[in-house]
Amino acid sequence: MTDDKKQTHHEDDKDMIKLIDNLNRKDDVHLNRRAFLKASFGATVAIGLATTPFGIFTFLRDENGEVKRVEITDIDDLAIGESRNFNYPTKNEPAILVRTPEDKFVAYNNKCTHLQCPVFYEHKENVLLCPCHKGYFNVDSGQPMAGPPQRELPKILLEIKDGKVYAVGREVRHG
Amino acid sequence: MDKKRAAFLSIFLFIAVNVVSLSNAIEGYYGHEDERVYAAVTVALVSTILATAAFFIWKKAEYKK
Ligand code: FES
Repeated sequence: MTDDKKQTHHEDDKDMIKLIDNLNRKDDVHLNRRAFLKASFGATVAIGLATTPFGIFTFLRDENGEVKRVEITDIDDLAIGESRNFNYPTKNEPAILVRTPEDKFVAYNNKCTHLQCPVFYEHKENVLLCPCHKGYFNVDSGQPMAGPPQRELPKILLEIKDGKVYAVGREVRHG
Repeated sequence: MDKKRAAFLSIFLFIAVNVVSLSNAIEGYYGHEDERVYAAVTVALVSTILATAAFFIWKKAEYKK
């Protein structure tokens, strides 16, 4: 009986040894390293390919949104220090044209870059003001000056010809 | 540094390049900066191709017996 027991014990030990044998650490580390590199490579490819839709959409957007030329107003209809609302480049995108005290024309989309309230021209202080949370934008550059907005207002490129002001393009990001 | 190790490490370089490119592509897309989007996509695709090359170089060296 004792022999029997010894026998089984022996077998058990053998099994245990086999188990430990299996845990070949070197091999394991090696294999993990391989798996790690493969996963990293997979991520590289996935992230790299993820940029392509943005390229494609940009291209498509370019195709159907070719630069539109829209007449905004007659120069004479807008006195110095006045402003006028219009829509550009689509009907759903409100914009504001300002004739500054230095007699320059500037235009921006006037959806506040904070939470999209309409931005107004404040003649007295010569700033663009968003009344919702007191956001101030520089009228000459469209850059935020005070308050919550962090981004500039999209700038509308203008052309003045034959006494009329035309919108001819837009820069969402600009100096 | 042998070829295998260089290939191995370069994959991490390419992953970094791709992460930066992706963020540029997204920012450019929403900022309507078309140039920036195209540049980012180009960089990302080139780096992906290079990463694939590096991966196969590494694989060949790793599994040859
Ligand atoms: S929405 Fe213009 S400041 Fe908040």
